[in-house]
Amino acid sequence: MREGSDRGIRIAVGAATLAALAALWTAATTLEQWIAPVYFPTPQEVGNALRQIVLQGYADGRLHEHFLQSCKLVLYGFAAAVSVGVPLGMLMGWSRRAEALVNPAFLLLRPIPPLAWIPLAIVWLGLGDAAKVLVIWFAAFVPAVINSYAGVRSIEPYLIEAARSLGATRGMMVREVLIPGALPLVFTGLRLSLQACWTTLIAGELIGAITGLGHLLYQAGLDLYPAMIVVGMVAVALAGGLMTALLAWAEKRSMPWRTS
Amino acid sequence: MSNIVFERVSRQFQRDGLQFPALEDVSFEVRDREFVAIVGPSGCGKTTCLRMAAGLEFPSNGNVRVAGQTVTRPGPDRSVVFQQFALFPWKTVYQNIEFGLRGKGMAQAQRRERVTRHIELMGLQGYDSAYPHQLSGGMQQRVAIARSYVLDPGVLLMDEPFGALDAQTRTVMQEELIRLSRVNPRTVLFITHAVDEAVYLADRVVVLTRRPGRIREIVDVAAVRRTENWDRHERIEEVMEQPSFVHLRTGIWRLLREQQQPARL
Repeated sequence: MREGSDRGIRIAVGAATLAALAALWTAATTLEQWIAPVYFPTPQEVGNALRQIVLQGYADGRLHEHFLQSCKLVLYGFAAAVSVGVPLGMLMGWSRRAEALVNPAFLLLRPIPPLAWIPLAIVWLGLGDAAKVLVIWFAAFVPAVINSYAGVRSIEPYLIEAARSLGATRGMMVREVLIPGALPLVFTGLRLSLQACWTTLIAGELIGAITGLGHLLYQAGLDLYPAMIVVGMVAVALAGGLMTALLAWAEKRSMPWRTS
Repeated sequence: MSNIVFERVSRQFQRDGLQFPALEDVSFEVRDREFVAIVGPSGCGKTTCLRMAAGLEFPSNGNVRVAGQTVTRPGPDRSVVFQQFALFPWKTVYQNIEFGLRGKGMAQAQRRERVTRHIELMGLQGYDSAYPHQLSGGMQQRVAIARSYVLDPGVLLMDEPFGALDAQTRTVMQEELIRLSRVNPRTVLFITHAVDEAVYLADRVVVLTRRPGRIREIVDVAAVRRTENWDRHERIEEVMEQPSFVHLRTGIWRLLREQQQPARL
């Protein structure tokens, strides 16, 4: 009962804040003109820009084309990074030998900022999708590895000992002890990876792309078109937020013991 | 026959390149279906003894044998009950108890029958699909004991299993364990620092000295229990007020007291 009304109050406060911001925006740009339209668009301009890009297109594509292109590249890069990084990190957490083997190379690559890979990726793969997926892969790979490694290391040693003295087979040890035990930190890694994917993708598309949200932002910048820049930024936020929400849902689904 | 034999067992630890002895020249036997408790000051190596029987650690010198075989690795014939319960947080009560049976490759119908029986035996009915964090400490330790007992292990190794429980729950669990070992006698090695717990549960009590642990004395409780017929009492406090119980407990207490480091002020 109390919790229910608490929730209601929270939603009301949130809605009021948003409404106040919208009113402030309208006032600042339209009614009082504290901010010149060259710097920040009016709500009406943003609405027009949105209509333009949804219906006619802008920067060589309509909004959904830019949106889907960016989501596609992020998903490819993210999936590739996760499917290599998580098993590798877990293996390094479990086996000292694997850690000794991989860690030196990993320590060398780790401090290189993902964006620093862009020139090399372009030399190798040109300006197409593949180069961007590669750079995204680099960005997402590091947090996936580190957190999967930490996830296995965070498992209480007595749980592993209990499994061994209960006669767990190798498969049971991996599937029923190491993976579920590491999962909370693995998901922390996936969240960080996903964030890194979006940052990197936008940067990659700013440099060279035919479609995509980063390309849209770049073009709008060249055209000195603040309303379209805002549309692009909101679209990036929506795409990132949508994927983060999907990940949170998967996290909840895969760890029922944490919520019940 | 499942016995545990410690033969001239020593164990050294290395820390910062230095070796220091944890256990020195310990020999004793836990006979088939005997309940032996080890007591000793903290750090005397009693848990090390249990871990060597479990195959989680190995002697530096000497030999630990279970059922005639030198222990080389952990296995379900030597089930361990840990002080921290060590239940898998991501598995339900039922799945936790079932875990070792699946490792043995037992058929599902048979597993279900056994798990259900042990859930009943430990009074866990209705909690099958609860997760460990939803249970009290006492209930969690019941699950851990059921998870070990269900394997029908040759020997049970219990490492201060009631150490993390509050006093009342501990008493209940001690009575339950006595009841369980009547229904289903096992070879048990039980580590504790509580002298009255050791005297109440064990057939024999091994008293270790302070580090490096050596055997100070092995006290035969079973003989007294039989002649004084402690088993006619149902409740732990009734046993504990018997003069024969008090006498044994005080004797062991004195042995431990003489191991105390003199206080430096």
